[in-house]
Amino acid sequence: MNNSEILNALYESDKELIIYRNSEKNNFEIYTDFAEKVNLNIGNLDKFLNKLERFKSNKPYDCYIGFFGYELLCKNINLKVNKDNSSFPEGVFFRPQTKIILNKQVKIITKSKSKLLKDLKALNKTTSSNSNKISVSPNVQVYEKIFNKFKKNIRAGETYQIKIAQKYSNKKDLDVVNLFFNLMKKNLSPESFCVRTNDFNIISCSPENLFKVKGKKIITSPIAGTVSRDKVKSTKEARKFFENNQKEDKEHNMIVDLERNDLSRITKANTVKIQNLKFVQKYQYIFHNVSEISGTLLDNVRLSAVIKAMMPGGSVIGCPKINTLKLLNKEEKEPRRIYTGSFGYYRSKQDMSFNIIIRSILNFQKNNEVFAASGVILDSTAKNEYHENYLKAKSLLDLLK
Amino acid sequence: MNLLLIDHEDSFTYNLAHLLSGFGNLEVKNFYDIKEKSIKKSDIIIFSPGPGKPSDYPVSLDIYNNYKSKKKIIGICLGFQLIANGEGGTISKQEKIFHGYQTYIRTNSKSLRFPNNALYQVGRYHSLKLKEPFNSSSMHITMRCEETNVAMCLESHKYDICGLQFHPDSFLTPNGKQFIRKIIQYKK
Repeated sequence: MNNSEILNALYESDKELIIYRNSEKNNFEIYTDFAEKVNLNIGNLDKFLNKLERFKSNKPYDCYIGFFGYELLCKNINLKVNKDNSSFPEGVFFRPQTKIILNKQVKIITKSKSKLLKDLKALNKTTSSNSNKISVSPNVQVYEKIFNKFKKNIRAGETYQIKIAQKYSNKKDLDVVNLFFNLMKKNLSPESFCVRTNDFNIISCSPENLFKVKGKKIITSPIAGTVSRDKVKSTKEARKFFENNQKEDKEHNMIVDLERNDLSRITKANTVKIQNLKFVQKYQYIFHNVSEISGTLLDNVRLSAVIKAMMPGGSVIGCPKINTLKLLNKEEKEPRRIYTGSFGYYRSKQDMSFNIIIRSILNFQKNNEVFAASGVILDSTAKNEYHENYLKAKSLLDLLK
Repeated sequence: MNLLLIDHEDSFTYNLAHLLSGFGNLEVKNFYDIKEKSIKKSDIIIFSPGPGKPSDYPVSLDIYNNYKSKKKIIGICLGFQLIANGEGGTISKQEKIFHGYQTYIRTNSKSLRFPNNALYQVGRYHSLKLKEPFNSSSMHITMRCEETNVAMCLESHKYDICGLQFHPDSFLTPNGKQFIRKIIQYKK
């Protein structure tokens, strides 16, 4: 088998794998042959992070790659969350022994080629005719009730910005790898990834990086502000829209200050800089308003401190983060699981990157779920935001149909 | 010089911490986790911004009342409102909410720390305001919003206390550090 055939055989098999978009190199990286798989919970998280601090990759395939779920990240900053009665893991990290780089050519870097080839038996795919009906939670009535409650919280200064999440779900078997690449053709997002395991699958076209560490430098690129491409046609028009739209502009200001704050917890004084304020990014259905902020990490900063300061990412939660999370966790009944958690890789203390898990399908126990959230701002209405959520989830909901 | 920044779990506190850090040894403590020792050894107590209203933070109000005549005290946003509340002022909702706004404010002749009639551009995050009339023999409103006339700064003529309703820590406040420097370098 040549490399392309091996890769296709891997896709066709049921071997566990991760596909990760590397937007800097404009390629996809496929990780498999997992030597370790760490299921995280609040009891072992610190131990795992301490272990990572001592880890340093010296092979291209060697890294820890995986995610921290929302509930775990809340518990990590001592916040109460709704109980998830399912067996879904609160976080999982994998340590691969094979990395396949998919560019114009396919390059395989592996510890053991025989191990890679061993499990590549094509499967008989079962096609099923499950219900395609998509259900939404909370429904529009409940959503409106929460929305109006949070408006009162904003008037009382208890939160300055808060984003209610909605869950869309259906039951349908997914051909994970195929769907992922279909989605990539339509909506190639810089933080896309796909996880296929024996227990669950994730397809994500996340556009948002939470932070990257390169040497001593840490960079965050929050997104705040969304407009439909039906509404504005060009990047230039989108910039005008964001500038003229008070709601989007103020939301964005808050998130810039929030991210400056979170970085300031773990960086040297006076090193936090706004590198790029309010620039526009274009996607399949929408434009985003993005900023870029950086800082120099404190000497000897602990990895656990970095995770506590930055996660869950504020731009998808609201502001101030702690009280807003408390309000959300009180009203939202569905466990968010991966949604607004973080996926990424760790190669060393000087080289890691984590995104914010949004625009994602979680397939678990024959159920598919997609979340979307948008902000409660006093001069917006519940119906508007309900629609904005739908818009955000649309490219994924199309896949579930 | 020792600075104690009391954090009301805001998402802007550490922006303020970075502004303050050049002026002395800075300790940041959560409002529910303050030891008497930290307060005693501090020369300056700073009340951070935060969600909610002053009465949500009785411990911070106690600290203000116990130390207002003994130490330099600075309040930012919620901290400003804590000072106002400690001086008998009422905090009320305002019609227009300023979350993430950049506006102009103007100083007046009552200010001891800032020049009279100066115009500044500042960043703001507040849905509540100091209700007026606010009557105090020693505490004066020394800055106001150009647009709404809402109180933006309180300065004591009796003690070394200064509160800012706006955010010198925000990127929306150019030269935010100047405000902090003037307040810290002011000597009663």
